[in-house]
Amino acid sequence: MSKAFDSKGPEPTRRVVLALGAAAASTVVTIKPALAQTAGSVLNCEIPVPAPQAAGSYIAQDGSLVPPGTQGAAPPLPRPLTGEEAKQLLNGSTPAGVDAEAAQAYANYIRRLQAGMSGFTCYASLQMPR
Amino acid sequence: MAGPTYIADPPVDLKAVPLDGLTAIFHRPSGMTHLLAPPSPQILDALGAGPADAEMLLGRIGELFEVKGGVEALEARLSELEAAGLVRRG
Repeated sequence: MSKAFDSKGPEPTRRVVLALGAAAASTVVTIKPALAQTAGSVLNCEIPVPAPQAAGSYIAQDGSLVPPGTQGAAPPLPRPLTGEEAKQLLNGSTPAGVDAEAAQAYANYIRRLQAGMSGFTCYASLQMPR
Repeated sequence: MAGPTYIADPPVDLKAVPLDGLTAIFHRPSGMTHLLAPPSPQILDALGAGPADAEMLLGRIGELFEVKGGVEALEARLSELEAAGLVRRG
């Protein structure tokens, strides 16, 4: 402590100080995978049925896209489903405003969503445990 | 007399990215990402040289840094790394 005069000068042996910290301090934060985080916002995500690039297509009972007006197929939904509505459909119930006979077709469409398709991330987040 | 031996996964299992004062570490085996503040990245680094108990590890770190704190503090940091899955006991 008596070397105040050379405190400004270079110290060839000076080493970086590493404080190990208090026993209670925390220095590690784990980032959860993105999909796990979206699980909390499931109510807000949306699934368009069908995807915008297939706008106008009808949805067959097995969930595949068919030309407009195809017999036995369900018409496009006027607005995207919310995550919560999609969840109801997948559980076999029919959300308000959805034709009960078409519900199965919409549910199957959602089940067939794949990575890269509109609404897939929302669907995937429905599968994540809360 | 010696405490538990701590082991870190080999450096090839970790991808570390410095972010200003912090270090983001991607742990390949678990697919998890962790944000570490000093001194944890340095501890992990020192443990990467091979399994060690806290005393031994403190010696290793002391070769590179002027260490403030003792074995107890080091063990607290090791426990955090253990809880995150970056360190295990041998």
